[in-house]
Amino acid sequence: MGDTLTDSDISIEQLLERPWVCIVWDDPVNLMSYVTFVLIKLFGFTKEKAHDKMMQVHIEGKAVVATGSREEMEHHVQALHEHGLWATLQRDDKI
Amino acid sequence: MSEFSRIDETYSLSLSIDEAHVLINLVEQLLELLGEGDFQHHYDESDPFAQLMAMQQEVVAPEDPVLKRLLPNAYADPEAADDFRRYTEPALRRNKQGSLRTVREELTVLVDNDESGVIPNLDAQMWLKVINDLRLALSVRLEIHGESFEIFENMPDEDPQKGIYAVYFWLGWLQESLLELLTQ
Repeated sequence: MGDTLTDSDISIEQLLERPWVCIVWDDPVNLMSYVTFVLIKLFGFTKEKAHDKMMQVHIEGKAVVATGSREEMEHHVQALHEHGLWATLQRDDKI
Repeated sequence: MSEFSRIDETYSLSLSIDEAHVLINLVEQLLELLGEGDFQHHYDESDPFAQLMAMQQEVVAPEDPVLKRLLPNAYADPEAADDFRRYTEPALRRNKQGSLRTVREELTVLVDNDESGVIPNLDAQMWLKVINDLRLALSVRLEIHGESFEIFENMPDEDPQKGIYAVYFWLGWLQESLLELLTQ
């Protein structure tokens, strides 16, 4: 119990405040046009933003498509699974 | 020759009887797969108490690779993934089954007692998802990893998988054509 966090450490508060992210993963089956369509439908992205995110998924293997509370991200992941996209949620890596 | 068409917000699909049979076959196979572990209830499923009890039944990650793809883990952490699955998978399964049943019904009407060769007034968003689920299921069975078209092209005609590949690409084409109409 004697351990304390130094200034350079990340505080517990900061850790707990880290938002959750919803990630879409690349797969070789979903059509690029379909992924773009689903991102517009579920997240209200513009055509350009949805296309950029889709390309990021395709090229980098994954992309964060939403950030927020755990409940919100769970809701998004479920909707993406309903549409056959491969999605997960996790705490944001970045502080 | 299969084709979706759209007049204002009304979508329809014209299909040959052979194509409809291929789709019915795939839809039924997927329905069967999704029904794994499912059972017929004797009570009213909308009853709140029945729903409460249904929550208690064990929901575990599926073994079949097709189901793993259609009902994937939401978390990398297995414990969190199982927890999430317990609360959400039954609904996800039910929704997919419901869409597949509707599509099956529409196809059956076309095959059994319709000479028009057209499924009128269809739910385009639902069909889009069903076609996608069928493609995902086929891709898992065919072990498609990206370079699928080259494999298909180089496959000898007598290869028994060639026909399944052909259906897979046909579904992709069908889905793309529906997407074009939806985004017009």
